[in-house]
Amino acid sequence: MAKHPIDWSPKNWPRLLYGFFTSFKLATVVLVFMTVVTLLGTLGQVEHGLHSAKEKYFHSFFFTEKIFGVPVLLPGGLLLMILLFTNMVLGALVKVRKRWKGAGLLISHLGMLMLLAGGFVTWAFSTDGYMAMYPGMTSDRVESYREWQLEIVPLSPEGEAEKAWIYPAKLLETMRPDEQRVIHAESLPFDVVINGFSKNATPVPVSAPIAASVTGKEIDGFKLSPQKASKEAEQNLPGCFLEIRPRDGGDPVEAILWAGSYKFDPREKAMPFTFPVGDQLYGALLVKKSWTVPFSVRLDEFIFERHPGVSTARNYESRVTRFEEGQSDKALEIKMNEPMRHAGYTFFQESFGPSGSQPGDEMYSQFAVANNPADQWPLWSLVVTGVGLGVHFVIMLVNFTVRSRQRRSSPPVAP
Amino acid sequence: MPRRGVPTTEPCASGQSGRDGWLSRPLPLAAALLVLLPACGEKDTPGLVERPLSVSEKNFRLVDSSMERFRYTARPAASAGTESGSATPRGLVYDTPEGWTEKPGAAMRDVNFTFGEKGEGECYVARLPGTGGGLAANVNRWRAQMGAAPLSDEEVAALPTRPLFGQPARFVAVDGTFSPGMGSSETFPGYRLVGLILAADAGAVFVKMTGPKEVVEKNGAAFDQFVSSLDVKSN
Repeated sequence: MAKHPIDWSPKNWPRLLYGFFTSFKLATVVLVFMTVVTLLGTLGQVEHGLHSAKEKYFHSFFFTEKIFGVPVLLPGGLLLMILLFTNMVLGALVKVRKRWKGAGLLISHLGMLMLLAGGFVTWAFSTDGYMAMYPGMTSDRVESYREWQLEIVPLSPEGEAEKAWIYPAKLLETMRPDEQRVIHAESLPFDVVINGFSKNATPVPVSAPIAASVTGKEIDGFKLSPQKASKEAEQNLPGCFLEIRPRDGGDPVEAILWAGSYKFDPREKAMPFTFPVGDQLYGALLVKKSWTVPFSVRLDEFIFERHPGVSTARNYESRVTRFEEGQSDKALEIKMNEPMRHAGYTFFQESFGPSGSQPGDEMYSQFAVANNPADQWPLWSLVVTGVGLGVHFVIMLVNFTVRSRQRRSSPPVAP
Repeated sequence: MPRRGVPTTEPCASGQSGRDGWLSRPLPLAAALLVLLPACGEKDTPGLVERPLSVSEKNFRLVDSSMERFRYTARPAASAGTESGSATPRGLVYDTPEGWTEKPGAAMRDVNFTFGEKGEGECYVARLPGTGGGLAANVNRWRAQMGAAPLSDEEVAALPTRPLFGQPARFVAVDGTFSPGMGSSETFPGYRLVGLILAADAGAVFVKMTGPKEVVEKNGAAFDQFVSSLDVKSN
């Protein structure tokens, strides 16, 4: 049978597009690429670390991968999932012939779409951070593992501040090392100039031998040595040069800011670079991005058990009290694999500190705090998919049984 | 038009909601862009945004110098002494190997020893915050001091490890002509450099031993004994 030539005229484009997005071939190609990307992403974690591998392979439209030394452009997980979602909506729900026999498969596809939609919601809307506290401490603030921002604070002589001016992480992290940004705030009597931003850096005293190989400005006996970004993004400590330009014509002030001046223990205090402008003392520092949860948590007791004779942890769990406006206080336990779920947030028992603590030392508990609106969607989607497959099985069974009976009851056909 | 420098406490604009990261990514759905961008358009305001500080964020430690701010502590000269298990003012405890003489701490050195008949061998411990300039840079600085060619990142990553403070530290051993640098133009042929570099959460630690090759070889066991005894003072 002769094939009809394809009509490529613009008026036929919608039909061609519809045909492309609903084709079974597209689904097959996408699933093959998904397998490849999953394999590369899993292997890539060794080279790039978990966060970078997720960004490169799964949160991208395209990425390049060297295969036998040749860079190859491949579709990223995000593009593949969008294509698969579109293909399933159009092909398996819209285009498919609706009949009772196909009800189970329809339900199964709905379940798979829920899984893909859940992935998108997680990617777009979920947050993750941590909350660390010693027994007796109460907090509603969650800190980011990886995102740093610039903070300017007006300080009292005792080192207290009520408010801060923030240069957000999402802007700071886009800075290139050779870039300079002048930031202006009407309510501050000076302009802030940032340059030489490095996602991972170390301040090196000029007296250290390694300082001879560090180029760049020397300020207060230090140079800023940019470092290769760590595979584990949370280990990076950014640094930058800061210049404060008073608008009243006063002399500008320069400093090196380094994330290592931030607090890494709940009892520590961050150490800002301080400078006076007029009669007011100000501080500038790099701090972790943070946000609040709609309730407070107090750590009442941190139970930490070690293996006998060694410092390795055997078990650790936290007893906490949750405070929420309009609700009665609630005492809870947070253990490994037994998180606290409340108001859309999940508190996992994650870690402890300080590092190098010895038996008898007071220790703090660290919770991983995740907020994922689609937290339970994978479970629901599996249930829906399972129900769909069950329905399909029952329909097929009934169909088979009816046909078998019909075959048995029909008169034999003469050979 | 973006509101430059306009103080605001709106969670959407302050970057404090913890959810804003997704807006900086390419959104795959045009519909989502159309619906969400107008609501959070101020996120891209290239200025400072004001917000109140919560109780846990209000207190800062005021320090006088970058030295303190970058977590370098002033290092008093170490008192000479060879007592086993002695604790230094810098919070380190260690055993002094037999035949080694502790010298006063020098700039950038927490612990300082000499050994050998004429004190020609030297071993010291130095600590720096952060990565201390980077593992590869320091390995190659040491190699350059011995006149050896630099190693690639892959070669540095493949260096053997030995425990230091209970963590795997990269072990470096180089033979050659030693040029200590630091203002000195002297060179010492037939030397050996043995060292460990540890990049830990709390900062970088360097243990470096140099001296005539045969003297360093003779003190290899003493070096191992010293390194394995190194610990942080618990109180």
